[in-house]
This record gives sequence, C-alpha cells and structure tokens, in this order.
Amino acid sequence: MVFSSILFLFFFLPLCLVLYHSTSLLPCLQHGKSRFKSNQGEVLAVREGTNAIPLKNGILLVFSLIFYAWGEPVYILLMLFASAVDYINGLLMDRFGITKGRRRIFLITSVAINLSVLAFFKYANFAVGIINGIFHLAIPFPDIALPIGISFFTFQTMSYIIDLYRKEVPVERNYFTYLTYVSMFPQLVAGPIVRFSAVNEELHQRKLTMDEFRSGLIRFMQGLFKKVLIANQMGALWEEIQVLEPGRASVLCCWLGAAAFTMQLYFDFSAYSDMAIGMGWMMGFHFPENFRYPLWATSITDFWRKWHISLSTWFRDYVYIPLGGNRKGVLRHLFNMFIVWFLTGLWHGAAWNFVLWGLYYGVLLTLEKYVWGKKLESLPLFIRHLYTIFIVVTGFVIFVFDDMGALGIYLNAMLGRVGNCFWGNECIWYLKNYGVVFVAALLLVFPFYPWIKEKIAGMKERARVWFAIGALFGYQVLFILTTAYLVNDTYNPFLYFRF
Amino acid sequence: MEEKKIHMITAVLLIFNILILSVGFLLVKRQEFSENENRYLAVFPECKWEEIKSGQFMDDVNSYLCDHFPLRDAFIGMKSRAEIILGKREINDVYIGKDDYLIEVYQKPVNTERISRIFSSFAEKEKTKYLDLNLMLVPTAIYVYQDKLPQFASVRNQMDTAREIYQACGIPAIDCSQALLENKGNGQLYYRTDHHWTTYGAYVGYETFCKVKGLEPVPLEELEAEKVTEHFCGTIYSKVNDYTYKGDPITIYKNPSDELTVYYPNTDVTTDTLYNLEYLNQKDKYSLFLDNLHSLVEITNNTAVSDKELMLIKDSYANSMVPFLAHHYKKVYVFDTRYYKLGPSNFIDEHPGITDVLILYNMNTLDMDLGIGGIY
Repeated sequence: MVFSSILFLFFFLPLCLVLYHSTSLLPCLQHGKSRFKSNQGEVLAVREGTNAIPLKNGILLVFSLIFYAWGEPVYILLMLFASAVDYINGLLMDRFGITKGRRRIFLITSVAINLSVLAFFKYANFAVGIINGIFHLAIPFPDIALPIGISFFTFQTMSYIIDLYRKEVPVERNYFTYLTYVSMFPQLVAGPIVRFSAVNEELHQRKLTMDEFRSGLIRFMQGLFKKVLIANQMGALWEEIQVLEPGRASVLCCWLGAAAFTMQLYFDFSAYSDMAIGMGWMMGFHFPENFRYPLWATSITDFWRKWHISLSTWFRDYVYIPLGGNRKGVLRHLFNMFIVWFLTGLWHGAAWNFVLWGLYYGVLLTLEKYVWGKKLESLPLFIRHLYTIFIVVTGFVIFVFDDMGALGIYLNAMLGRVGNCFWGNECIWYLKNYGVVFVAALLLVFPFYPWIKEKIAGMKERARVWFAIGALFGYQVLFILTTAYLVNDTYNPFLYFRF
Repeated sequence: MEEKKIHMITAVLLIFNILILSVGFLLVKRQEFSENENRYLAVFPECKWEEIKSGQFMDDVNSYLCDHFPLRDAFIGMKSRAEIILGKREINDVYIGKDDYLIEVYQKPVNTERISRIFSSFAEKEKTKYLDLNLMLVPTAIYVYQDKLPQFASVRNQMDTAREIYQACGIPAIDCSQALLENKGNGQLYYRTDHHWTTYGAYVGYETFCKVKGLEPVPLEELEAEKVTEHFCGTIYSKVNDYTYKGDPITIYKNPSDELTVYYPNTDVTTDTLYNLEYLNQKDKYSLFLDNLHSLVEITNNTAVSDKELMLIKDSYANSMVPFLAHHYKKVYVFDTRYYKLGPSNFIDEHPGITDVLILYNMNTLDMDLGIGGIY
C-alpha cells in the first residue's frame, strides 16, 4: 500500500488512528496502574490513562502487518522471519553472552542471516549476471522479485543487534513489541531507517498529546502534497523528456529533464519521510529527520549531511567508523571511503549505475577532504551552491539510467554532443506546461518554509492570525486538489468506436 | 492564542474532509456505469487466494475505490481546470487547443508494418475476384487543424504514416487529407470535443471518394440538413472532463431522393433511416449514426443511381459518411471486423453481388485498432 492512495488516506489511516486512540477511552484502562515493566525489570512510572500502550502496540502491529501484506502477501513471511532471527539472537546474546567473544557469535549469526537474505532477494540477479559475464557461463537468472522495503527493514533489524552487541540498547523480550518496531507501517517501506535505540523507550512508554497529533497531521499533509502535487508532476515531466529521441531534445531540455528527475527523487523521498514522521507524531513516536534541504547544500560533504541522513549515518556508525574512519592513515581512509561508498551505491539498487553513483560521491568527498575543500569554503556562497547542485544533478543522471548505453547518450545530449541544438521549442513547451509546478518545487528546495515560519513568528499577533487563516484555506484547497489527483489515478475514459 | 485556535481548526477541517469523503463513500449508492467515460465501473473483486497472492485483488480494490469515489467527475474536472489555469496544455493525451478545440495527440505509431501486411494480404486474396478495392486513411484533427494546436506543441505527421501504408499494401488510395486542408475555411470539419469528423468533414471525404471513383457527388445544397443537437460532448471532452467546455452541434444530412431500407441482422430490426435519434438523450450522441455498434448493417437504396453493391470495412469515422455513399449504391454492407467473426473474405464469397470494397480508417485509432486483425 502506498501513502498516496485513496485506500490509505481515506480508509486505512483513519480506521487505524480511530482504533488506536479510542483505546485511551476504554474504562478498564483509564484508571488502572501500569503493570508494564521496562527491560531492566523495574516498573516504569505509574501514570493514569497510559496503560493502553500494549494494546496500542497491538493495534499498530496488526495494521502494519495488513499494510505490508497488502503489497507483499507472500514475502511478509520473509519479514517475520528476519525479525524473528534478530529477536532470538538478541535473547540468546542477552542470556549467554557473558564474554565479548560469545556475544560476537550471536552478532555474526544474526548479521550473516540478514545480509544473506538481502543478498539473495536483492542482489542474486545482479550477481548471476556478473558471474555469467566473467566466466562466460549461462546460469539462468533466478528471477526473484524484490520484496518491498527489504533494504529498509534489514538495516533496521541489524541496527538492533549491533547496538545490543555494543550494549547501547537493552534487550527486547517481547517478540510482538520487537515486531511492532520492525514492521511499523509509517516507516516500513521507504524510511527513514529508524534505529531501535531511537524508538526503544517510546515502544514502551509514550505520551500522546493533542498538540502533537495536530503537528503530526500537518506534517503528514505537507508530505502528501509534496508527493502528489510536486514529485508526481516532476516525474511526469521527466518521463516525457526521457522518451524524446536523442537529438530531438535540446541541451537545455536535457538539463530541465535532469533537474526534474532530481526534484522528483528529492520530493518523493523526503515526502515519504515527512509522512512517516508526521504519522509517528500522531501516534506518539519520534523518528529521526531524514532530509534537511539537501539541494541547498554548499558542498558535497554538506549535501551528504543533509540527504537521506538515516542512511548515511547508518553507514557511518556501522561500517565507516568500525573500519577506522579517517584515523588510521590516508591509505586506510581512502580504502574505507571506497568500501562505504561502494556499499552506499549498491544499497540503492542492484545495478552498476548505482555502484558508479556511489563511487562518484566517494571520489568527490575524498577530493573535497584532501584537495579543494578548503578552497571551496573561501568562495562566494552562490558559487558553492552552484557547484553542489551541478554535481548532484549530474549524479542523479547516473542514478536514473541502469542502462550504461542510454546513460552515455543522455550525458552527451546534456553536453550538446549528439547534434542537438542548445534550446528549442520543446523546451519552451515543457516550461509552459510544468512551469508553475517547477517554480513551486524550486521554492521548496530552498529552506523557504522555515524562513517564512520564523518571520511570521516574529510578527505581531494580528498579522500572525491572518497568516494562520491563510494557511487554513491553503491546506483545504491543497487537500482537495490532492484528492482530485488521487481520484484521477484510474480515470481512463474508454473511447467508444475505437475499432 | 487566537492563532493556535486557528491552527487547530485547520487540522480539524482536514480530518473532517477525510471523514466526510470516506463516510460518503460508504453511504453513496453505487453506480454501475459511467456515462461520462462510457464504461462500466469496477465491481468489488472476489476475495480469492490466487488473486490475493498475485496482488490482483489489491489492484482491483484500488480501482473500485477510485471508480466509486464520491464526486468523482467533479474532482477530475477540478484537476483538469487547475492544470489548465496553471498553464498545462496537454492533459490525458489531449492538447488544449485554440478556439476551444480539444485535439487528440497522435502517438508514435508502432504497428505500421503489421497493418500494411494485413491490408496487402487481404488485397492479394481478393485479387482474383475483380473487385474495385480502395483504401481510405483519414487524418484526424491534429493534422488538419495544426494551426489550432497550442503554441510549441510538437506533432507527428499522420499522412507520412498513411503514405507508408498506401505504398506497402498496394491498394489504390483515396487520400482526402488535401481536400480537408483546402476546405478548412468552409465549415467545421472536426468536433471540438470529440475525436470524429463532423458530417461536413465526412462530406469532404465523400467528395474525394467520388472524384477517385469517377462518381458525381450530390451537391450539399441538394441535401436536407438538420441540426439535431447543440450539446454534443464527445470522447475528448470526457478525457479532459473540464466542465467549462460547451458542447458541439451535430448536423445530419438526408437525401430526399433516396428510398432506404436499413436492416440490422444481429437485432433483426429494419428501419428506413440511417439515424437513431434516441441517442440524443444520452451522452454518447455520435452513436446516432447507424445506431452505434452492429456486426453488420445492410442498407438497400431502391432509388440508387447504380446497381453496384459496396462493402465497407471501417471504423466509426465511416458511420457519418455512409449517408452520402448510400445514394450511389443499390446495397451497402457496413461491416465490422470486430463483431463479424467470419471475416470479410468469407462475406464477399457469400455475397457475389458485391462490386466495390472500401476500407476506411482514421489515422489516430488505426495503430491500436483491434479489428484490423480481423480483416485477414
């Protein structure tokens, strides 16, 4: 199920939230005492009306499983298996892991199983292709469909077992609580990658306030609008430009296409994170922020601090730093960079272009660190922005073509080397058709929203009220428009007399 | 504090919006058929394990929800209107043209070779029967009304594809594209909201037909014209669904000297007219020509100027041209390859009276036409 669908928005989510919050009204849970204990065994603070948490977790779990099964009615078993492996290894590590060596056994077992599952389901086809290529064999492709969200939930469960090994989180004894963490539908299929340590406490005890529910709803809506009204439109623009025969698209048009794809990816991805974070708030969870205006970064180093933060910090904490980071000499650092960025690329998909894309950033980050990072900082700000955006947009062109031949043609077309002119009518046509959305997207790429929020906060009460009223109408209009787009999804008039 | 209250109201209104639509969905009576889209809406899928396993069930549920969503047509119209206001000039494969013209995009043809092969195989088979065989590929509005397209829109040339087919299949061509271009100023050739040509467009096509066949076309002034409606909102209107567009008029022509018997074998109905004006009460008004879909229509003209018999293998463009053709033939067989399963060759064998065969298709639907395969 996707968030931006009629089913989710009008049926699944409201039903889930109504049931979830109505548990607080159950009389038997109103005044009882929390018999719920923390992992260390001590009783957590007794609060009235809060002991509905296990029931709430249960509701969340059931809905999450339905959510996943809706998209993967068969592979849901895989998710249950993967989470059971970590859960059991966690228990065993807690029970038998007296020495570090013993703990390591369970760690390695768990990580090995997780990585094998990931390797098998995500990379088997890719690996067979490579092996066939090198050894001139003809091993048939296993043809395995990629289970939705597998890259996300395996990384989440690994964070648990690694942190447990490092004694940074307590063991989770209740399988259903653990499964609730892994399968939680707001962040299950597209991030952010929520580490166990981030939600461990909230899984057992969390506060629900009206105010936070409201903020969560608004955050969710912002994500929804971004996804439907901007990301999808930018996607449509990119689709149209992409299919133009090489030579028919002018240089400017190719750049417009690349920019559209960059925005599609950014808005799609960050919208999903917004919706996840918003739904988290509505249910009392706090997931980490995943994007901080990455397209407005001043260097590539800065970009990766702001783009898909939960992934880059995952690789930093569980791969880069354990390998020694940059503290073991330059050569070792270069090697570590290679490994981390090779893996980062590969994580995004089982194809060479993703690896290439990862390494592209590995090289650029290394260059920024050792060659031009300092010089860059002394340049005017707008040059640094331009430099970053140029590299990022070019990078996403590598990202989007999994066919190396097509990638080469497109890159050449961007340079005007396929006999295409600099600009043409088609470029104006697309600008005319998508101009308004494009400009709106540009505004949201810059940190315009927090800036204006801050400005409004500093105004007089009266002005603030007017802005609030404006926002009130704005949200309703955008909501109705979004609904219209969602309904239009299946709108395809059957043309009579089409024979 | 005021401000905070308003923020709260914003959220409450959003929730209200969601709930009113989801509750509305549950309460509203289900519609089976969408007049506007001219199709049956999705029914709730059966819950079978096989369907669930393949994900088909989930897709079907999604279609069901979208199809029966409250105020569906209004939402879709709103989306189109908003897009047009924001400068979009292509919606659901329709160009938003000048002078309120909605013009269908001509997609890149992919079946040109296959279609040529079918036509030439058919011609090859009928070669020995001494039939007068012709092929007429009619351009659509995007070719004739290029000046009405939105600025900077790109177009593929339909007649390039048509020429390719004419040459490859070897059937003598009747090319009315030039005549249509020349008569652009004399009247409306295509509907503004539908993908068909108007009866005047069909008349221009008929004139070209006569010129090639050496017939004397009946002058338009000698025909009885009747404007039967002003409010025809056709298929392209449905695709865009922008309710600010007004409908088109439909004018029908009758030749007072013709004495017609029109027989529909599949329903066993005989009438004396080529038009079924009952369709004027429906959205689908173009169906008034030859009573919409029939596997075969037999038209007998007792006062025809010749004893010849014409067989017409065609799409819906021909339906508005038949009234002009009927004058020249004692019998016209209007043949639908999609519904008449035995194929045209068999039909010709069974009806030795047939002297002329005309294949008529419009360029826009030719490429994806399902019936073409039935010709050979």
